[in-house]
Amino acid sequence: MSENVNTRSSLVPIAAGALLGSALLVGLTFTVYRTVRSAEQRLAQPAIAAEPSGVAVADHAEASYCTPQFKEVLERVLHSCGLETGESRRGCKPSDVKTFAAISDEDFNALFRPLQDRGGVVLYDTNKHDLDDAAKQLVADRFGERRGARYFLVVGRASPIGGTEKNRALSHRRANSVLFHLKETTQDPELDKQVGTLWLGSEFAQLQEEEFCKWPTSRPGGKCDDRFVNQSAFISWVDCRL
Amino acid sequence: MTMKRWPAVLALLASGLGLLFGTNSTLDYAKHLDRSLHDVHCSFIPGAAPTADAEACRAAMYSPYSAILKESYWGGIPISLFSLGAFSFFAGVALYLVLAGPRASRGVQRTFGVLSLGPLLTSIVMFAISLIKLGALCNTCVGIYISSALLAIGGIAMLLRPNVDLANLSSGPTASPYAVAAVGLMALGVTTLVPGALYAAAMPDHSRFLGNCGTLKKPAVPELLTLKTSSPVKSAIMFEDPLCPTCKAFHQRLVIGELFEKLEPKLVLFPLDSACNWMLSEPLHPGACIVSKAVICGGAQAREVLEWAYDEQEALTAAGKAGDKQLTALIQTRFGAKMIACMGSAATKNTLNKHLHYAVDNSIAVSTPQLYLGDQRFCDEDSDIGLSYTMAKLAPEVVR
Repeated sequence: MSENVNTRSSLVPIAAGALLGSALLVGLTFTVYRTVRSAEQRLAQPAIAAEPSGVAVADHAEASYCTPQFKEVLERVLHSCGLETGESRRGCKPSDVKTFAAISDEDFNALFRPLQDRGGVVLYDTNKHDLDDAAKQLVADRFGERRGARYFLVVGRASPIGGTEKNRALSHRRANSVLFHLKETTQDPELDKQVGTLWLGSEFAQLQEEEFCKWPTSRPGGKCDDRFVNQSAFISWVDCRL
Repeated sequence: MTMKRWPAVLALLASGLGLLFGTNSTLDYAKHLDRSLHDVHCSFIPGAAPTADAEACRAAMYSPYSAILKESYWGGIPISLFSLGAFSFFAGVALYLVLAGPRASRGVQRTFGVLSLGPLLTSIVMFAISLIKLGALCNTCVGIYISSALLAIGGIAMLLRPNVDLANLSSGPTASPYAVAAVGLMALGVTTLVPGALYAAAMPDHSRFLGNCGTLKKPAVPELLTLKTSSPVKSAIMFEDPLCPTCKAFHQRLVIGELFEKLEPKLVLFPLDSACNWMLSEPLHPGACIVSKAVICGGAQAREVLEWAYDEQEALTAAGKAGDKQLTALIQTRFGAKMIACMGSAATKNTLNKHLHYAVDNSIAVSTPQLYLGDQRFCDEDSDIGLSYTMAKLAPEVVR
């Protein structure tokens, strides 16, 4: 009898220990199992598993001057001048600009006013299209300040001196002088996709001395009047997305 | 009599504590199987709530040492899961020893004492790995180490007890000490392995998610930096910000996991700093543009400069917030005036700009880090506990 009681009492600790150990093992394993299954359910229902992250996608810069009107003109310029379509034809002549821009001279120039801090006016000698050292420096400085811009615009002009046809050709050469200089100095195969050239001759959107002589020019402090400021190529990165 | 039971009581308490920390750690790990980020427990205080601010615990959880079979299962089977079975076993036996008191089988006490050294040895190994490989200690892990140490103290105390008086008091069925040891070892093995086996059987299939996170549209441009590795077998493109803590952690995981040396990585610097990155309206990591320029100027040693920036990230981040001068001074102290001159050059500025435009050309998300194996994006969700598994599936040559 006494032996039975002893045996029974010695089994109690064993049973208690086995019970605790088993209960802990089963209970915790079940908890972990349930957590794993719950993760699987969240995986099966992505809407529950994750809210939309809302992470932005890398894109070009968009400045405040990119008004709908500005973009409309820019888009027409870039599209019609072959930049967006990747055509071999490069640049736009005055008649093209007049047609596709469908905008007055004054309004066309007004669009570029916000670019004063971003752009510059490369000045040329009369009847010349060569870049002097100061002009090369201005082009390098301005082109080096790309930041997030997608397009670099070059707008060649000529003063009213001389005939229309001659001035068209001259402004074309001036725009090209910038483009060719950039090609030579950057050796960037993607350059054609970045630089848009227009040449306006002397017949469209002439620059006004009182405004554009105050812009950064390649000849700061030099003579600048209505004639000289149009012997030029306007250059600027444009921070707009299209 | 009560005094003689203290080793068993200590072992019981230690087992309970170990179960608490082990359970928290395991459940935190299991929650992450849904490929999302969750708060984790990272406190010495038992029962403390999980928190988002738990860098050391996250580093431990994401490291290759947090789980086994990581290349076979997404996330692997967490080491802490084995502690659940082990501590359950020790808790049960400890309760028996407490209740049985001096009448407890001497063989059971000895077996318990010897087996209690197992968790301690495991903890010592994990502690050493934490210090040597990870350079940080996770509080939850330390909780388990302490529990293991207390358990071992109780176990050793039982081993060291004199035989004489206890032998006379022992009652109940007697068995050979070897048989008791064999049964104890087997029971510990089974209880330790069963949760792991069930966990592996219940794990969701992640293979359907791999490689579904997009591709690069444009090939690498010459301006990208090459990071030197010892045995490259797989080309990769990495978008990183030297002052981004997540980039640092990811880089370290690749290095610690011995994966980085097998990659042939091109680095795209993508500083989340509005000083050069127009995609941000304000700097997320002030000074990251300056440090990125230093990495560019590292040239062939770009990896060394990048890893220096990661090592010194805290100081560089503080300097970046204080101002450009302070940050530049730190860089100059380490790399000299020549580096500063290079960083100020137009060419360096242009190169960094090209890195950012490369990101634009590929329409990548404005976030770092990002890894592309070839042109295939490695999903962010696979870059932590699922790193080894995903790498084994997408680039098996890297894990071989």
